[in-house]
Amino acid sequence: MADPAALPRRILKEAQRLRLEPIPGIAVEVSETNLRHFLCVVDGPEGTAYEGGKFKLELFLPAEYPMAPPEVFFRTKIYHPNTDKLGRICLDVLKDKWSPALQIRTILLSVQALMSAPNPDDPLRENVAEHWKTDERGALAVAREWTQKYAM
Amino acid sequence: MFGGGGEDVVVPRAFKLLKELEKGEKGGAGLPPYLSYGLADADDDDDLTHWTGTILGPAGTTLDMRVLELSIECGERYPERPPEMRFRTRVNLPFVRNDGRIDLAALGVAQAWRRNNSIEDALNAVYHAIARPEVRRLAQPPEGARFD
Repeated sequence: MADPAALPRRILKEAQRLRLEPIPGIAVEVSETNLRHFLCVVDGPEGTAYEGGKFKLELFLPAEYPMAPPEVFFRTKIYHPNTDKLGRICLDVLKDKWSPALQIRTILLSVQALMSAPNPDDPLRENVAEHWKTDERGALAVAREWTQKYAM
Repeated sequence: MFGGGGEDVVVPRAFKLLKELEKGEKGGAGLPPYLSYGLADADDDDDLTHWTGTILGPAGTTLDMRVLELSIECGERYPERPPEMRFRTRVNLPFVRNDGRIDLAALGVAQAWRRNNSIEDALNAVYHAIARPEVRRLAQPPEGARFD
């Protein structure tokens, strides 16, 4: 079912490197049944409202990869203006800023960076972004609450 | 594919459903004008299981221009298995049971289903089945009647 020999070499190499040189604060596991499907856990960055939380993400490499970007979404509920309630993520490198020179590794690091630097000016969830802009302390408090409730 | 060695790329359930959702969300661009679908409750559906759909009754049938509401359930085994569908709007159709459930086997959908088929395909099959010669003239309940 999951035959590594059938996979493009690039994907094999990326997966191998992720295994041999793990990204600090990010665990990546390849699905047993689908070698293009990765189950990831990103630690909430220190000093943010997500600190202490473990955020699950799923990542999939479509047939067009690396000409097309990986697809990624949060499996864990997160209060963040650049995600929507289904966990979809608004991130330039997952869209028009994608380049085949980027990798799974860079994408996951970008997601982690996005957690450290929410950008309410380019929101996916208007009401959350509005919360951020009008009452950042309140928004961060809710984000912390969600981290405790859903990510711990 | 180059260097792909005949790899059969399998899109995992959630990614496939998110793609389908995106297509349904774009105000139906890319969808036939007579059908629509979306998540029933995006706030409370982590697993992308519960969907709703509408079909506009085909011209030349006794359901012509009626908006027919359906609920659609994409279970854990979707897309290996087709979604379960039921009409909310009351209809009189040979492949629809007393409680609104659609018999996908009677439509041939269950047998022909492949994992790259979609909610759109399933709705389309229902739409076309309504227009079948032996079905199109069947007397229908008054407009507005519902199964639930």
